[in-house]
Amino acid sequence: MRRVLARTIYMVIVLVLSSIAVFYAIRLSGGDAVAARVPASASAEEREAVREQLGLNDPFHQQYFDYVGSILSGDLGNSLTNNARIGTLITEHGKNSLILGVAAFVLVFGLGIPLGLLASLRRNSWWDGGIMTFSVAGMAVPNFWLALLAVWLFASVLGWLPSAGCCGPKQLVLPAVVLAMEGMALTVRMTRSAMLENLNQDFVRTLRAGGLSEVRVIGKHVFRNALVPIVSLAGLRIGQIVGYALVVETIFGWPGLGQVLVNAVLRRDYPVAQFFSLVLITIVLLSNWLADVGYTMVNPRLRKT
Amino acid sequence: MAATDLRAGSSGREQAPLLSISGLRTAVTTRGESFDVVRNLALDIYPNEILCLVGESGCGKSITALSIMRLLPTPPVRTRAGRVLFKGQDLLELRNSRMRTIRSESISMIFQDPLTSLDPVFTVGNVISEVIRSHRDVSSSEARRMAGDVLSKVGLPDPVKQLDSYPHQLSGGMRQRVMIALALVLDPDILIADEPTTALDVTVQAQILDQLMHEQRERHMSMLLITHDLAVVAAVADRVAVMYAGEIVEQAPVDELFEDPRHPYTQGLLRALPQVSVKRRRLDPIPGLVPPPQLMPPGCRFAPRCPHAIDQCWTEHPELSDEVGDRTLRCFNPQPFA
Repeated sequence: MRRVLARTIYMVIVLVLSSIAVFYAIRLSGGDAVAARVPASASAEEREAVREQLGLNDPFHQQYFDYVGSILSGDLGNSLTNNARIGTLITEHGKNSLILGVAAFVLVFGLGIPLGLLASLRRNSWWDGGIMTFSVAGMAVPNFWLALLAVWLFASVLGWLPSAGCCGPKQLVLPAVVLAMEGMALTVRMTRSAMLENLNQDFVRTLRAGGLSEVRVIGKHVFRNALVPIVSLAGLRIGQIVGYALVVETIFGWPGLGQVLVNAVLRRDYPVAQFFSLVLITIVLLSNWLADVGYTMVNPRLRKT
Repeated sequence: MAATDLRAGSSGREQAPLLSISGLRTAVTTRGESFDVVRNLALDIYPNEILCLVGESGCGKSITALSIMRLLPTPPVRTRAGRVLFKGQDLLELRNSRMRTIRSESISMIFQDPLTSLDPVFTVGNVISEVIRSHRDVSSSEARRMAGDVLSKVGLPDPVKQLDSYPHQLSGGMRQRVMIALALVLDPDILIADEPTTALDVTVQAQILDQLMHEQRERHMSMLLITHDLAVVAAVADRVAVMYAGEIVEQAPVDELFEDPRHPYTQGLLRALPQVSVKRRRLDPIPGLVPPPQLMPPGCRFAPRCPHAIDQCWTEHPELSDEVGDRTLRCFNPQPFA
């Protein structure tokens, strides 16, 4: 319990620090929020008035606290480009991102763990060789390149799947697979090595000496021990999915948070870019926190008393 | 004393052996080459006795035990020949499912390092119950009750509370008691203990040995105790088998072995033993090393280190021969122990 509490406090601290960093970085990133608000013909006085109205003349910490205050009071502001409410943007696009993210998560673990198990139990067989080759390729090929290859093969040449669009199952397949590929490859390798490592532990011999069946020894005890490192890195895998979503959503025209964020940055839509960055950071931090809690749950050695 | 009577009975060879190993050959295969690590081994375990298997590390003691239990790490280690007769059946021939019912129901085993030998992510009670329920058709609450019972019998303090403990929460001695409980919960006929005290503190070693001897007497079971520690042998054994380089070189009742060791290797082991009573005597180690399996001499395997080796020892391989009394010996030129 102590550990969970410590991780929670740690998460809040990181969230505050990264929100300051995001806030500061946006202000550094050149361009001017005022330029986006006023016509190009506006006079210096008019610009100054807008600047004052937006609070841009206040000291940095003042601006930061104003911003945090308005977020906490539920006022997320509006987009500079189309004046859409940021809250609405989040709910609309968040839903799409959630679909894509969950699909990728299921592939990473729901497919990665069984493939890793198969490779470890059929060690040095054709299964093992095939799965390991596939996983090396999955880690080596960058996802933007994989996305282009996938579009070329499955959309242009074979015509099986649409190259872009939203949000049916057919449109979901390619982005989800591309998004999941690296994490899945890593999960396969980690599952395999954790299984092989634990299969050689002394306790396996003890359980066999106790007359337990192989299904129980391997399926319950060895697997349960192998889960410890897999769960401990689940947070990283989720972070990876969130980060890669920016690229993958953009390539496949999947209208999720990542795509909105990329467009907002390109159009210097600061309120959107700022808040969406914070949302993504929060998701990554939360998933790391969850992984930590999960790690404590699967590993009794971390639990005191 | 009842216990002494039983021992006398076993050394008189009136009883049939409970477990009888003959012609056991176990080999390691590396890079296509195969080396015997246990060679033509014969060993009988009688009812109600404690048989100690003694030898240096790497001499094949543990491999022998794992061969009996069919728990060898295969590959690379594999039993190539021999029979392990138990209650009229050859364990080496049994189907895997039959062998599983033998393990811990009839023959149990405990290991050297109790920390790594227990699953770290399950509670003690959980694992013991699982072993019970793999063999007996009992409810989980009944299995838990049985687990608590056996933990209290092996002298674990606060046994019911420890059911919910994880191995890392217990001390070394407590962990080994848990291992003993796990091995004895189904009341086996034979307990194989592979260096059960080697990884423990000296003070705890004696407690664990006492517990093992106590259980052996209480349950009228046989015990095969594997050790390299002659002090343990002297304290515990009824009979002793000395192993060298994959072979048994001498077998005798414990008193006779210590009074009158015949094989030069046994004699060497005894000379290398520090004695408190003798003041500042220099220890007398056996010169040289055990030859690696691929470089075994063609004659007697101990010849290169033997003070009494004669020409025959270098060319001919000695067989295990029956001696006067209940003893066997593998030596061409036995000399009295000075």
